[in-house]
Amino acid sequence: KKCDQILYHLSYYSALVLCVDVGFSMSNSGPGQEPPFEQAKKVIQKFVKRQVFAENKDELGLVLFGSDATKNNLAKDGQYQNIYVHRNLMIPDFGLLEEIQNDIHPGGQQGDWLDALVVCMDLLQNETLGKKYDRLNIAVLTDLDSPVSPDQLDIITGNLKRAGITLQFFLPFPMDTDEAGGGDVGGSGPPHGGKGLSREQQQGLDLVKQVMMSLDEEDGLDEVQTFSDAIEKLSVFKHVEKRPMAWPCTLTIGSCLTIKIVGYKAVCEERPRKSWSVVDAQTHQKEDVKRDVVYCVDDDEETEVPKDDTIQGFRYGSDIVPFSKVDQEQMKYKTDGKSFAVLGFAKQSLVINRHHFMGNQILKVFAPKDDEHAGVALSALIRALDELKMVAVVRYVYARNGNPQVGAAFPCIKEKYECLMYVQLPFMEDLRQYTFPSLENNKKYTPSENQLSVVDSLIDSMMLVEENEDGEKKDLFKVNHIPNPQYQRLFQCLHHRALNPSAPLPPVEPWLITALQRPQAVAARSRAPLENMKKLFPLKEVVKKKELKTSKELSTEQLFGNREVYRTAVWKQGGLQNSGLVTGRTGFQILNIIVTSLSHIINAILRD
Amino acid sequence: MAEWNAYYQNEEEDLDGEEGEESGVDYKTTGRDSLVFLVDASKEMFIKEESGELTPFDMTMQCVRSVYTSKIISSDKDLVALVFYGTEQSKNPRNSFKHVYVYHDLDTPGAGRVQDVDGLRGEDGAKVAAKTMGSGKTNLGEALWCCSNLYSDIKLRLSHKRLMIFTCRDSPHEGDSERDRQARTKAGDLKETGVVIDLMHLMKPGGFDVSIFFCDVVSPPEDDAELGLQMEPCVKLEDLKKRVRAKEMKKRSIARLNLCLGEGMNVAVGVYITALQARKPNPIKLFKDNNEPVRTKTRLYHTQTGSLLLPSDTKRAQVYASKQIVMEKDEVDVIKKFSDPGLELIGFKPMERLKLHHHLRSPVFIYPEEEMVTGVWSACMFTALLKRCSERNVFALCKYTRIRNSPPRFLALVPQREELDEGQAQIAAPGFHGIFLPYADDIRTLDTPQLPTASDSQVDKMKEIVQKLRFKYRCDAFENPVLQKHFRNLEALALDLMAPEEIEDHTMPKIEMMDERLGSLAQEFKDLVYPADYNPEGKTANKRKPAEAAGGAEKKPKVDISEDELRGHVQKNTLHKLTVPILKDACKQFGVKVTGTKKQELIDALTAQLAN
Repeated sequence: KKCDQILYHLSYYSALVLCVDVGFSMSNSGPGQEPPFEQAKKVIQKFVKRQVFAENKDELGLVLFGSDATKNNLAKDGQYQNIYVHRNLMIPDFGLLEEIQNDIHPGGQQGDWLDALVVCMDLLQNETLGKKYDRLNIAVLTDLDSPVSPDQLDIITGNLKRAGITLQFFLPFPMDTDEAGGGDVGGSGPPHGGKGLSREQQQGLDLVKQVMMSLDEEDGLDEVQTFSDAIEKLSVFKHVEKRPMAWPCTLTIGSCLTIKIVGYKAVCEERPRKSWSVVDAQTHQKEDVKRDVVYCVDDDEETEVPKDDTIQGFRYGSDIVPFSKVDQEQMKYKTDGKSFAVLGFAKQSLVINRHHFMGNQILKVFAPKDDEHAGVALSALIRALDELKMVAVVRYVYARNGNPQVGAAFPCIKEKYECLMYVQLPFMEDLRQYTFPSLENNKKYTPSENQLSVVDSLIDSMMLVEENEDGEKKDLFKVNHIPNPQYQRLFQCLHHRALNPSAPLPPVEPWLITALQRPQAVAARSRAPLENMKKLFPLKEVVKKKELKTSKELSTEQLFGNREVYRTAVWKQGGLQNSGLVTGRTGFQILNIIVTSLSHIINAILRD
Repeated sequence: MAEWNAYYQNEEEDLDGEEGEESGVDYKTTGRDSLVFLVDASKEMFIKEESGELTPFDMTMQCVRSVYTSKIISSDKDLVALVFYGTEQSKNPRNSFKHVYVYHDLDTPGAGRVQDVDGLRGEDGAKVAAKTMGSGKTNLGEALWCCSNLYSDIKLRLSHKRLMIFTCRDSPHEGDSERDRQARTKAGDLKETGVVIDLMHLMKPGGFDVSIFFCDVVSPPEDDAELGLQMEPCVKLEDLKKRVRAKEMKKRSIARLNLCLGEGMNVAVGVYITALQARKPNPIKLFKDNNEPVRTKTRLYHTQTGSLLLPSDTKRAQVYASKQIVMEKDEVDVIKKFSDPGLELIGFKPMERLKLHHHLRSPVFIYPEEEMVTGVWSACMFTALLKRCSERNVFALCKYTRIRNSPPRFLALVPQREELDEGQAQIAAPGFHGIFLPYADDIRTLDTPQLPTASDSQVDKMKEIVQKLRFKYRCDAFENPVLQKHFRNLEALALDLMAPEEIEDHTMPKIEMMDERLGSLAQEFKDLVYPADYNPEGKTANKRKPAEAAGGAEKKPKVDISEDELRGHVQKNTLHKLTVPILKDACKQFGVKVTGTKKQELIDALTAQLAN
């Protein structure tokens, strides 16, 4: 925890200025094409939305150029005209989102994007004075279709470098657009209805290349993107990267061999940072809802007892054992600190029973960054394990009084790094050694040769990893490239509801539905084998065995039809939660449910 | 949802730095499982065979004890009974059966029963058994009848009924055909009422011949392979325990779904959990006057009017960038829905595409729905798929939706063909293991340090070390010391023992043995990789010491923050620059109610309070 706090203090946020061209050329577009202005607006909307929902603390400024109005610190004597500082550096909020939606309109002027860049630099420098930031960045969104005066170019790039400001460009056309004009340039299409780039745009593009190359010779041009690429990328809601938390420890082998290590969570189920709070339906105030917990003894009157008159206990089979917190604390299993102690080494083949992997994370273990001796020692262990096809079985304790785990540390050697990969293994108590009836040794289930070959053709047709002519393998369905659909959907709905409080929720976005489906090519290929399978395995439509309903479920259901909502809601409220404790009193419970639900329905009717 | 669940969460579990994952299992309580141990108490059971370490009786008692304690830990609602047959004395509910001694009625096991069984172990235990029950005439028919009464006396609904016969005699009535016939009839009656009868036959000089008598008594095996009867008698306690454990737990699926291969091609499957982290049970609240459990009722009130709030009187809200976004409870649930429950085949991939780090939680196991009588073709197709996936070394990629309103996850279905050990016992069940695959959000990018790699001589030295310390890993070799300690403590309290039984902590490295095996190797390796002035112990090891010496009462210095300062932070929107402990203290200081412990929630709460 401590190192977390330290990390926190050392980290700063970044500042970014969005520099958007609203000049009149931005409104031009070929028939059926979206004007660059609208595209640029979408990019910044999506970007700001992402920042707002991630509650990113990065500060954001917004500068428009080509605008009718002029407002900036440098505007003097006819200089720096038609450049409008819409917002100084601030953490983005819904206000900004609404402003972008409602207040930003195309202007009728031409703006010099180099001038605008200077205004942005000035803004960044003034507003970040005396504060520390991780990164200063300017993103320019323009069609480059206005004359600029490039005489100051060297001074500008020099200043950018000196101030450590990075630059990004977003353009309506790709950078390699045919300069001669009229060329065929793929999907996004050349501006001006296919007439190719204008002279200004060609000159602008050259300048952009010049600036970007002088800032970063190698990768500078990667920071020039098209509007449509940006929109696509920004459609995916992204969690803010959590700073990986370092877990420093020592790996021990016996009493005298130790290696300093640092562990990081490498794979772990990401969860939303916020939970829902309960608010009053009318006032929407959280404070109007009070949760009240009462304890009552197991008698017919359900006599309430004060909390102070209760003590803690545990079940031991049929016995109930009073066991106070203090006693429990004193008698419980204790560990004396974090640990990554090798218990021994075992063959990988014995441990890689994938189905025995436990826990909710994969830990990657490195030597500390600045400790080359530990690096060499750990490297020796990793390579030894790799060559022998073995793993280290270790005792892992996260922190003092944390629960110990037994896990396996696998060697992992990559091109760029090597590490140990730790995964938790089961305790004896965790395993359920079920036996299932044999399938292949059962004559009833033995498939014929024909059936096996049709299964083969299905597998062939549905292979998701393909090899192309160059022998390169291509994976058509990478789960680790799909964003968790739950969060995409959640933020889609939150965003929609935030801007349209009374409208119903929108449907799932089409791109997300497609991303979760069998790839179209595979679906098409599998059609024929599936038809063959249907013939060879004449499946009867499976009649689902009706699950037995308990009497309480039935009673509520009969009363209200299938209004699951009430049932689960009441259920969750805690009444029936500990059903183990209240057997024999369910009659009263049911009555309670019925009464509450009934009164609800009556209320609803009255309200209508 | 986290907020609703938070109340029930066990605080201590958070110590290991991981979020308590909802276990994913919600067993439908359709009834209780029950198990009757019917144990032969004849003289033969008390004779130790030359090769054996324990008498058959002793072995059985140890086995019963281990089932009792494991039931207490893992399924404390199950009912268990212990009945002896072939006794001299008789004791049963109506005392209508001779030579049958009901030691424990069908009930949930508790500390007292564990102690009882302990009393029957070892040489002393044999004396106790001889004194209380003795060995006498055998009438298995009577014993089975008595057991059927035990089942019928139970008022609770029983979902799974099992009876295990422990004996080392293959001909209990020594050829008395009348008693044989009676036993068969009674066994038949029991089986008809849904009781599964297993034979746990123990070693017998000259071999145990199941075909003489017991083949007609026990239930036919679940499949045609007749695994049950081909099994050799148990000689070792470990084998017996394993065999009992494999039978004693009823398989329960957490979901019954269709595995959809394509339109109209559905295979009915059950989803099982074969490994789940066993956790310390949550404490219960007791009324201090009588130590009886109290019930916890949670209600929502309106703060202003004091009236009871129904679920429909509330909505759900989240705050982003100081804006509150409100949804109905239903909406919150329904936005998690993408598709109906099921397993939807996406395609196949070569096994090497499944990486070691593709792990999020313990996997599930997929097996054809057993109760589907009409599903022969379905099971056949499943078998064909399993066979070919395994032979071609591919896995099936599936989209998995467990229940209504659960968001989809992708599973790699890894084929697992059946494996048997020498004794024809199943060590791996046939079916698919479903491995949960991480989404993009679940994989974190790490800054990997650039460090030098080891030379061949250094690696070779480490190889020697690795070879010296190799051992044969077994997945069931480690007990969870935290759980074991907890239950020993409870046992000691329940039985008024002076001190709980010591546990052996297998998770601790056997330092002395390791040092001895390594000899000079450790030093040699250190000389190869570490310079003379290098301290590989690191700072971390020492830093903790002073705190521990002070009895672990490490108090963080209390940081107070003035209201003005706080308001300043609120205005400047810089609360996030404060640490969580400071924010928590601030919340307390200004009486701000916080519903969560996440940093953002603290900030939101403070902002809401102080902004006005």
